[in-house]
Amino acid sequence: MIQVRGLTKTYGARPLAHGSSAVRAVDDLTFDVQPGKVTGFLGPNGAGKSTTMRMVLGLDRPTSGQALVGGRPFATLAEPLRAAGALLDAQAVHPGRSGRDHLRVAARTHGLPARRVDEVIDQVGLGPAARRRVKGYSLGMRQRLGIAGALLGDPAVLLFDEPMNGLDLDGVRWVRRLVRGLADEGRTVLLSSHLMSEMEQTADHLVIIGRGRLIADAPMAEVMRGEHAGRKVVVRTPSTDDLAGALLRRGLQVHPTGDGDLLVEGATAETVGDVALETGVAVHRLAEQQHSLEEIYLDLTGDSVQYRVAGAPEPAGQVRA
Amino acid sequence: MTAATARVAEPGTATVLARAAGAEWVRLRTVRTTWWCLLAAAVATVGIGTLAALDEAEMAAAIGSTAAATVAGEYGTMVGQFALLLVVLLAVTSEYGSGAIAPTLQWTPRRGVLLAARVAVPIAVATAVGVLLALVADVLAKLLAPDLVLSSGELTGSLGGVAAVLVAGGVLTAGLGFLMRSTAAALATVFLLQLVLPALLPAFGELAADVGELLPGTGAVWVLIDALGITAGHATTLLVGWSAAALVAGGWALLRRDAG
Repeated sequence: MIQVRGLTKTYGARPLAHGSSAVRAVDDLTFDVQPGKVTGFLGPNGAGKSTTMRMVLGLDRPTSGQALVGGRPFATLAEPLRAAGALLDAQAVHPGRSGRDHLRVAARTHGLPARRVDEVIDQVGLGPAARRRVKGYSLGMRQRLGIAGALLGDPAVLLFDEPMNGLDLDGVRWVRRLVRGLADEGRTVLLSSHLMSEMEQTADHLVIIGRGRLIADAPMAEVMRGEHAGRKVVVRTPSTDDLAGALLRRGLQVHPTGDGDLLVEGATAETVGDVALETGVAVHRLAEQQHSLEEIYLDLTGDSVQYRVAGAPEPAGQVRA
Repeated sequence: MTAATARVAEPGTATVLARAAGAEWVRLRTVRTTWWCLLAAAVATVGIGTLAALDEAEMAAAIGSTAAATVAGEYGTMVGQFALLLVVLLAVTSEYGSGAIAPTLQWTPRRGVLLAARVAVPIAVATAVGVLLALVADVLAKLLAPDLVLSSGELTGSLGGVAAVLVAGGVLTAGLGFLMRSTAAALATVFLLQLVLPALLPAFGELAADVGELLPGTGAVWVLIDALGITAGHATTLLVGWSAAALVAGGWALLRRDAG
């Protein structure tokens, strides 16, 4: 279990300084990551995901607030690898040391036997490459090495920052199964990824942040029903103008679709059906729009994207016809 | 074992520190750079030290006197110390360059423990190797030039001086490494403070020479080759003072700043 309480990280000038140019990378973040589930950690670049994970692991000092791993600040633990294992940056390894020696150093800090090192090397499929120096590793091999390090202490909590980067399809499927299996064993798993389709398949729960603030903290099923983003309903009726007028009077946004249907924003199928009944128009088709996680994510985070390609179109969720 | 397994009691700080120190030792010996640095230290200390001692022996003979064989280890350490200090420096700074400090602090998140292990182990290794190399240089010089005097009393004092210079230089180096987090910047600073400025400043007039007498390298040179005309107390103050100041500043950076 990870508990994040009012976590805040400010960079740059002191918060009270005049004309402060301080940047709030993480802004009063509060959420729990529960055991037995895969919790997806989503947000645009610069949203504060990595900074949050670094503060959970005691690498960066919060400006205020705190994070607890298994009920304790990570930086006070004598055997931290038994409490939490993490892969933050697969490149952060001494290039001149072999993968196996890298893990032996970690094992030595916890009094773990060399046998445990060989176990995790087998578990991640690094095999004979473990005896070669890390400078010759591909990104995918480095990810596997990092995951091996995270698993070394058989921890109750796991944090993975973009573990699928650089992995081929086999590797991605392997990480998915691994993460699933770890959660099914009752462990707490926090997983950040930019691969929305991957997240959709893997995560049970989502924590979404933007510009350092919490946007959503909800079960995947709830997010996928669109309860946190704008719901959209498509309705087909022969009396387009009458129904559109009635919906507009209810304060709903209505857009004609190209093929003569109406797209109603912020409404459920029930609402639109009731309005049609009251107005006395026939309904030939009524459907809540199914969204991919990607569309919902873009809708939720559209306002908080900090870095966007100049001239790039607005994210799909933000387009107002 | 699963996440549901009951927690066993945590080991005490002494155990955690011993494990961290063991990990530092594994870190040192599992990168080739360490061995290249030690090889360079061996060549510099034994080679240059022995040549200098042979020269001393010849000059002493010319005036009908004798010289001590221990000048070999002392002159050799003047040069060879930089390869040894590089071992200490890389133990600290290489992880800031690669980002490997992040996993290190995930394994040893109590930063005071990491500071103690990372200062103690590389400096102990560098000092032990340095003293051994000085001894080899002294003995080799005596074998090549039997006129050189090698008494056990003088040898003990000389090797003690070598150890003191390496410990003080090592703590200075580690402290600057933690403070600057950059191999190049810290290496340049150590080189200037420990060798270049103390040797050069006297050539730039009296004021510059006075400044030079405040630098740690002046103390090191006095201990090793009794040059630069300062007192023993002055030299000790320089070595201890600079090391302590660097350790406090570097320790503050490790304990208080973000991981890096």
